[in-house]
Amino acid sequence: MKILVCIKQVPDMESRFKVNAAGNWYEETDLAWRMNEYDEYAVEQAVQLKQQVGDADLTVLCIGSDRVKETMKKALAMGCDRGFHIADDDSYLKDPFAIATLIAAYAKEQSFDLIFTGMQSQDRGSGQVGVLVAEMLGIPSLTTLVEFSYADGTVNAKRELEGGIKAKVSCATPALVTCQLGLNTPRYPTLPNIMKAKKKEMISTPVADLNPEASLLEVLQVTPPEKKGGGLILEGDPADLADQLIKLLKEKTTALA
Amino acid sequence: MAGKIMKGGEFLIAESECQDIFTPEDFTDEQRAMAETTEQFVENEIIPHHDEIEGQNFEHVVEGMKKCGELGLLMMDAPEEEGGLELDKASSMLVGEKISTSGSFSVAYAAHTGIGTLPLIYYGTTEQKEKYLEKIITGEWCSAYCLTEPGSGSDALGAQASAVLSEDGKNYILNGTKQYITNGGFAELFTVFAKVDKQHFTAFLVEKSFAGLVVGNEEKKMGIKGSSTTQIILDNCQVPVENVLGEIGKGHKIAFNSLNIGRFKLGAGVTGASKMALGEGIRYANERKQFNRQISSFGAIQEKIADLTASIYASESLVYRLAGLLDDKIATIDKGVDDYYDQYLKAIEEYAPECGISKVFCSDVLAKTVDEVVQIHGGYGFCSEYPAERYYRDERINRIFEGTNEINRLLTSGMILKRAMKGELPLQAESMKAFESLMTPSFEDVDESIPFIAEKMTIQNLKTLFLILSGAGVQKYMDKLADEQEILMAASDIVIQIFAIESAVLRAEKIIDTLSPAKQEQLRAAVKVATFNATEVAASAAKKGAYMVEEGDALTMILSGVRRYTKYDASGLLEAKRTLAAAANDAEKYIF
Ligand SMILES: Cc1cc2nc3c(=O)[nH]c(=O)nc-3n(C[C@H](O)[C@H](O)[C@H](O)COP(=O)(O)OP(=O)(O)OC[C@H]3O[C@@H](n4cnc5c(N)ncnc54)[C@H](O)[C@@H]3O)c2cc1C
Ligand SMILES: Cc1cc2nc3c(=O)[nH]c(=O)nc-3n(C[C@H](O)[C@H](O)[C@H](O)COP(=O)(O)OP(=O)(O)OC[C@H]3O[C@@H](n4cnc5c(N)ncnc54)[C@H](O)[C@@H]3O)c2cc1C
Repeated sequence: MKILVCIKQVPDMESRFKVNAAGNWYEETDLAWRMNEYDEYAVEQAVQLKQQVGDADLTVLCIGSDRVKETMKKALAMGCDRGFHIADDDSYLKDPFAIATLIAAYAKEQSFDLIFTGMQSQDRGSGQVGVLVAEMLGIPSLTTLVEFSYADGTVNAKRELEGGIKAKVSCATPALVTCQLGLNTPRYPTLPNIMKAKKKEMISTPVADLNPEASLLEVLQVTPPEKKGGGLILEGDPADLADQLIKLLKEKTTALA
Repeated sequence: MAGKIMKGGEFLIAESECQDIFTPEDFTDEQRAMAETTEQFVENEIIPHHDEIEGQNFEHVVEGMKKCGELGLLMMDAPEEEGGLELDKASSMLVGEKISTSGSFSVAYAAHTGIGTLPLIYYGTTEQKEKYLEKIITGEWCSAYCLTEPGSGSDALGAQASAVLSEDGKNYILNGTKQYITNGGFAELFTVFAKVDKQHFTAFLVEKSFAGLVVGNEEKKMGIKGSSTTQIILDNCQVPVENVLGEIGKGHKIAFNSLNIGRFKLGAGVTGASKMALGEGIRYANERKQFNRQISSFGAIQEKIADLTASIYASESLVYRLAGLLDDKIATIDKGVDDYYDQYLKAIEEYAPECGISKVFCSDVLAKTVDEVVQIHGGYGFCSEYPAERYYRDERINRIFEGTNEINRLLTSGMILKRAMKGELPLQAESMKAFESLMTPSFEDVDESIPFIAEKMTIQNLKTLFLILSGAGVQKYMDKLADEQEILMAASDIVIQIFAIESAVLRAEKIIDTLSPAKQEQLRAAVKVATFNATEVAASAAKKGAYMVEEGDALTMILSGVRRYTKYDASGLLEAKRTLAAAANDAEKYIF
């Protein structure tokens, strides 16, 4: 069985984000980087599947600068067999469509039985990449999974719907699944596995070799949320309070204009 | 790997190249992954049980150690033949730094992986390792180390515990009481020191199940309350002769070598604890409002945050520079040789002065950190509802165990002077040169293009000053200097500050070009604040030393040297502190 898991490296979400000079993304310097949380569920599920079927080969794919290799090594230490790195320093400028074409271009040649991705990335949050890849490959996609099982070429899964409702779904492989929080508890790589991962194969291919397509979307502007002013407590007797309030409303708002 | 490997203590007379030192920025992806695994382990497996552990529900400690075993966190130092990973010191120190955020649990971990395991690894026979090591590195058994006795703490070799060979020659019969034994309550394997026939200091591997080993009550402690500390009473305890560890009469080597390692590991652990406490202090300062403002906006609070950030930066730089020194030296030893561990321990002993520096400097930084973090919390820092109170209590032990900070200060300067007198370090020749420089006026022609030149010159000057003072001390007291502890304490304070800021400056020089402009500015600020603070400490120690060693004209001359060699132009100090504080307050954590 051939399995692919696609991961993305994202900033530690506790970082202080600043908008970059171009105004179309966040500033990438001085950030700490991690594996996208949803992709950790994807890697964990893929590794569990590999352990279940035994005879399986599990590739982890990641697009980005050389920096992302560190995150790929974590996936290898968690149990992936090999890494496929698409070297692209400007991956953050690519939209979900452009990213998906790269993955699909690679996956087409490899004919994977099952592809795992996260439900969305923590930084862009489009939730499109997995579905687009499936579409491009002409295979079914099951999204937002909170339960997964596999037997004899069939995936049985539970999807999370709004309001806590779950849907049972099933499809035959080849297929693609996107993973949601609650699917599993990702393992942390043990030290021996971290050391063993060093010896696993990691192929790096320049993005140009995969004939990247132009993005269909352009991010025009990224802005931080507006700062909310702190509350204000007025003190005094009721008549005085009313005066203060009217004064404030006149000065600071258009409510009485 | 360094181009040139410095000898222990040689930093006092030679200049290091920044390319030759190891820094946290040199960690490999694998090392960073180990750090992340450790952080996640602490967060998910220990923090949720924190209150139970503090309540001495040791099941959670024992369980946690088993989990550590599964993750490979107990096998870093063990040889590959015995199922270990044999990783470098930088890795084990990084993991030690990360585990330290687990509070009391980290004491159990440190004792187990350090003094509890290393004697077996370094001195155990193949049979002993086969019998015990797997249990230890999987966490199936916890381990403890029994050196201290009620009547002998710092004076460890003064132990009274006795070992006598049984009539049939099969067992040693141990009698005595061991005091303050970490993990005593749940350990299964104890490395016990006792004197064979009242004179030959020897280590023994003692299983809990051996007849005559009695575990005493838990001590009621000020801090690290969730760690187990008990007496171990040996009441005609029967230990098979094959459980003698190392050679009879050579126990002191085991004891001292284990302590050397314990000391640099402690440096890493307390550095992690400092970072954690600082983060807590900053978050509180951002949260707390007085006078309608966040208290983090007040200069008085910002200065604390800036000073602590700079000190922790120095502490971290020092710890990993030392890791690099040890790793480079150990890497020169041929793994195949029979006396591998002999050479290995000699390599570590070479840096015994630096190990002592690491222990003292980094634990003093933690002490200052937790004190200020309580202060930032105001009254809330005094109450146990906030973690600052526990940090304050937990910190205290670090200046007491693994050799008190006095013992370590005395050892540090004492060893350096001893090596100088034996001719192993050319301190005397350098000291003569330093005296000459004292008598010639200085023409300071500064090449401003050299990065961190002001700091480098200050470091150079402090070295000169140390040479002058130690030279004067040696001249006056000769080999009796060891009895003049006040002077040795002053000397070691200078040595410690030199090593710390030199590490901080070399690291900055090595990494600065890789950083964003904002980060560069913060790094320069940290270097400035750290150098200024260190120079003030060293200047005060030097002055004290001068008054203690000399009088009359010689005193006047040395005091003028103190003034001349402790000048540091810290122009822009206020901006530097504000830069550091602003960045730290924004990140809400240690920023480097
Ligand atoms: C919580 C805890 C855990 C511990 N865990 C272990 C363990 O697992 N195994 C173990 O073997 N031990 C352990 N110890 C013991 C610890 O190592 C000793 O407490 C320490 O070495 C100090 O010894 P002491 O308490 O007897 O103090 P003392 O040696 O009596 O020292 C008292 C004071 O005198 C000073 N002093 C002593 N000698 C000199 C000197 N020559 N010159 C100048 N000043 C001097 C000291 O610096 C100190 O300030 C532990 C202790 C504690 C509190
Ligand atoms: C055991 C105990 C007993 C007490 N008993 C009494 C009592 O009997 N009666 C009573 O009324 N109170 C009592 N207090 C309260 C005590 O007086 C306050 O805790 C103290 O005044 C500090 O206030 P705070 O705790 O709110 O800290 P904060 O005022 O929040 O201070 C936190 C930190 O911010 C700093 N800071 C605050 N403002 C500024 C500023 N403008 N510029 C620079 N730095 C600033 C402080 O120096 C401190 O480091 C008690 C407190 C304790 C812990």
